[in-house]
Amino acid sequence: MNGHVKNMHFQKFMESTARLLSFLLLMTVDSTKTVAASRNQQCENALQQPWKLTRLAQKESVLLIKTYKASQGEMSELFCKVSVSNIPDPNISGLEPSERIASIYTHIQAFSPHFKRVYEQQTDLQPPKSALLTELKRVSDRRRDLASLINNMYHKLFPNLPLPEPADGPTTLPPPQNVFQQKVYGCVVLKTYKELLSNIAKDLRTLKSKICRKRRQMNTVSF
Amino acid sequence: MVSARLFQLFGLACLASLFLARDEDNNYLVTAPQNPFLEIGTNFTATCMITNTAEVTVDDLYWNLSKTTVSKEHYIKINRTTLNVTVPIINEEPGWLHCLCNKKSPDVVLNKSKFMGGIWLRKGYRPEKPENLSCIAVQEKTYISPTISCEWKAVGRQTNEIPTTYWLIVKGMNENKYNTSTPNNRAQVSFDTYPNFMPLEIWVEAHNKLGTAESEHLKNEANFFVKTNPPSEVKAYSEKGFPLSLFINWTHPIDTVYVKLMYQIRFCPLGSHNWTYVPLADTDKYIQSYRLQKLIPDTVYTTQVRCKNHLKDYGYWSNWSTNATERTSECRPSSKPDLWKTTIENGITERYVQLICKEPQLSNGRISRFDVRINNKKDEFKNGSWESIPVNKSKSDSSSNQRGIMKLKKIFLPDKQSVKACVTASNSVGTSPEACLVISAKPHEHTPVKELKVWPHGDRLHLEWNIPNNTAVSEYVIEWISDIHMDWQRENRTTRHTTIKGNLERFVCYNVSVYPIYMRQIGKPARKEAYLEQGAPLQGPSVELNGYPGHDVAEVMWKEIPRKIRRGFITEYKIFYTNGTKIQVVTVPANTTSCFLKSLSANTRYDVWIEASTIRGSAKGSNHSFTTLKYESIEGTVVGVSIGFLFLVLMVILLCIYKKDVIEDNFWPRIPNPGESTIGNWSPDCHLTTEIPKEHCLSGISVLDVGVCDAKHGFDEDKASLSLKKDKYLSEEHSSGIGGSSCMSSPRQSVSDSDEGADMVDTTASTVQYSSVVASSGYKGQTPSSQPQHSIFSRSESTQPLLDSEENPDMLVQEGSQHFQRFPRRSRFTQGSESKDATGCTQLDDEQPDFCPFEEDTEQTTLPDSPSTDVSPAAPISSYMPQRGGYRPQ
Repeated sequence: MNGHVKNMHFQKFMESTARLLSFLLLMTVDSTKTVAASRNQQCENALQQPWKLTRLAQKESVLLIKTYKASQGEMSELFCKVSVSNIPDPNISGLEPSERIASIYTHIQAFSPHFKRVYEQQTDLQPPKSALLTELKRVSDRRRDLASLINNMYHKLFPNLPLPEPADGPTTLPPPQNVFQQKVYGCVVLKTYKELLSNIAKDLRTLKSKICRKRRQMNTVSF
Repeated sequence: MVSARLFQLFGLACLASLFLARDEDNNYLVTAPQNPFLEIGTNFTATCMITNTAEVTVDDLYWNLSKTTVSKEHYIKINRTTLNVTVPIINEEPGWLHCLCNKKSPDVVLNKSKFMGGIWLRKGYRPEKPENLSCIAVQEKTYISPTISCEWKAVGRQTNEIPTTYWLIVKGMNENKYNTSTPNNRAQVSFDTYPNFMPLEIWVEAHNKLGTAESEHLKNEANFFVKTNPPSEVKAYSEKGFPLSLFINWTHPIDTVYVKLMYQIRFCPLGSHNWTYVPLADTDKYIQSYRLQKLIPDTVYTTQVRCKNHLKDYGYWSNWSTNATERTSECRPSSKPDLWKTTIENGITERYVQLICKEPQLSNGRISRFDVRINNKKDEFKNGSWESIPVNKSKSDSSSNQRGIMKLKKIFLPDKQSVKACVTASNSVGTSPEACLVISAKPHEHTPVKELKVWPHGDRLHLEWNIPNNTAVSEYVIEWISDIHMDWQRENRTTRHTTIKGNLERFVCYNVSVYPIYMRQIGKPARKEAYLEQGAPLQGPSVELNGYPGHDVAEVMWKEIPRKIRRGFITEYKIFYTNGTKIQVVTVPANTTSCFLKSLSANTRYDVWIEASTIRGSAKGSNHSFTTLKYESIEGTVVGVSIGFLFLVLMVILLCIYKKDVIEDNFWPRIPNPGESTIGNWSPDCHLTTEIPKEHCLSGISVLDVGVCDAKHGFDEDKASLSLKKDKYLSEEHSSGIGGSSCMSSPRQSVSDSDEGADMVDTTASTVQYSSVVASSGYKGQTPSSQPQHSIFSRSESTQPLLDSEENPDMLVQEGSQHFQRFPRRSRFTQGSESKDATGCTQLDDEQPDFCPFEEDTEQTTLPDSPSTDVSPAAPISSYMPQRGGYRPQ
């Protein structure tokens, strides 16, 4: 009798413990899911802002090219069809997302001296308060902001990977040019930059789905 | 604390050493710290050190704070030459803390300024953390402005001595900082380009000499602070066949690459400000159009749209867009027209009823006509024919929310006849349901509502009433009428309190009626007058006098002020009147239109005016002036009559004085005493001189005794004398009279003759005939000659007027009497005969001895007291003997 009673008590204890453990397990899973969702949201947000800014910069670069062409006088269409050397490549390289993001950052940074040069050249060619200079400044500022965002994003997404600096050393700028060459150079820089932005926008969209989905999968697998 | 004290002492030592190094002109007392900034509410410790002298010790020192000596309890003696003091900083006023010496030695007294040190205390508060920081970046053209504006609430106090400066700091990515300082609670920071999608950190730092405080940091994406322009080109479109909806579209104010927007839409009927908001869940998207639904047909709607960042709690709502106004398409009227009537009683037995109508509440389009049908009760309200009444109303009229009143038809309604009027309203799409009203034979047979109250509250007139005894009321009609406007509204049967929903004007009197409606039959109304708002009358009443003023009272009267300018219920009238020195007031109730002004001064000019008052003020009417009478009217009459009478008496007296003779002649003619009369007898041998009677002999009476036979002659002679009268004064022979010179004068004309001679001849006609010369016909026109004749002339010398019989010769003829009598003169004759009998007789005796006895006898026989047997009894008694014949035949 006593043994039976003891068994009964033990059985009840075991049942209660199992229920409690089940409840705790459910709570843990749920909270993990919430954390995962939150992390996923952070991932998407981290990619979202650079993507939005890229679109904005792209839009403004399109308008800038129009304004540039309009302000360069006759044959402005021809300027942009001439090929110029030492202009950064608009194509993003790398296979891994981290490599591609690093490539994006590097390319954006590579345009910095070119924009500076174009602005200087156009300051000489345009009246001081021309719309072209204003827009050029704006696009240049966007480039700077975009670089900062990409950098920030990279460090958020890949906190343990250092962002590699451009391997080729300092950007090579063209030698002193005549007006025509300046106009051609400016247009090619802007056009190439626009292409780069277009590529970045596409890449970020792809990366967003890749990185954030991968993380989601990783989170799912871990449970 | 200890280290601070040590530092202070060290500083003081340095200062002292500096002073020691200088010449003897320096102060002997050195204070520290110099020019401190002190926080109000804390304690401040200062040090005073004696340098370069042994004249005084710390025991001789004392501290003054703002000219008040600090109690020694607050002193701390550091050593023989150093004295500390600790004082509380309690107020904002800056002031001096002085270290002074109270030793009275000659050196100290002479160098008082050297034994003094001071500290200028500047007081203030520590800055506190600014609160409620908010920043905004607005759209500029197609971009976001590079300037971000922030404002915050400054917390805590500051003094002029220690002001607070605020720094607005905006930190971007990569430690880019933008800042600006201001003493105010708002500032702006400008970027080169607005950093869309970049994280920003914004905060405010409050700085002053006492410290720094930092607000909360706003850490957000730059678009969090964006406020865009409102949507542009907002347009609304109505769609045929969809009378309940409007299609709205607009243009995004900014490209979506800058800010992705969501929208909010609101709408209301034109003129109303009761906006209806479209649920945000329907429009919180990046949309460019929306279809409003469940609208009222044929109604103009105003629509507005606004936008903000589509992310929740991001950005600010833009301002509302400009209005997009459009009318929904038409639909069949879905409610009844509002039928009502006005009645014009025309005598007792007949009425004119004017049917009036408002468009249906849900007219759903422009009402183009009303159809009216009138049915008599005798036809059991059936079989009437519809009469169409077109509505001439422009589109613009119909756009107003105010439903106009349409006069439909005027019905002449004999008493004791009921009609039922039914009306429908039609628009271009269809016809409304029917509205009917029964105008009963006995319009007031249904009981009115009880205890109707009307009062203004706010900008509305409120009504309250109790149900009538008969509770079968189906609805109530509230009617309000002013001088120029009438309107009505309907309330359901359960309503006991309502407000008039029409547009009422201030200062206008409204006659508010509540009609209970019993199954379409109109009950007896309850009425009240009310003002939405009362004001002072625009003008007071004009006053005028009722009749003439008395000598101490006057009645003034006035008319009620016209309703148009009354502007309120008159509470009282004040009648002001003044005689130029004192203004007196009489207050009378509002229902009075006249008043007696009493206790006025006599013969005084008064100005009177009236002030009409309402609860909101009063207005003065025009002045009226009057002058009170000097006397009471009865007094005036008496005085006037008295003066008139006195004047009359005076005039009479004057007249009497000036016309004494005339009056005397007229009223008291000088009648010669018959007793002094003499009868002149003369015969042809009488000398003419004897004919001139003496004055004193004329008063006697001469009586001629003529024979009966002479009567005829006498008669003839009278006739002849008439002709002579016509030819008066043709010859001297005709003139005769008392004292006259001619014995040939006519018997009728001799009266005027007198002693005054021929000058008086002209007046003969007006003089009274006193006597006649009686002569025989044989002597007419003859001049007595000196030859002796037997004819005897006799005449009376009396001035007595002829008696009636003499003046009426006809009578004489008829009577044929020989006697004349004149009773009124009888006494005088009698008197004369009595008083002067002797004298006269004497004279007569002397001059006419032959006749005298005879005359005496005759005269005596004519006295009325002694009737004569010779005279006919019927003949009047005369004191004169009839003078016939005049002269005896010679």
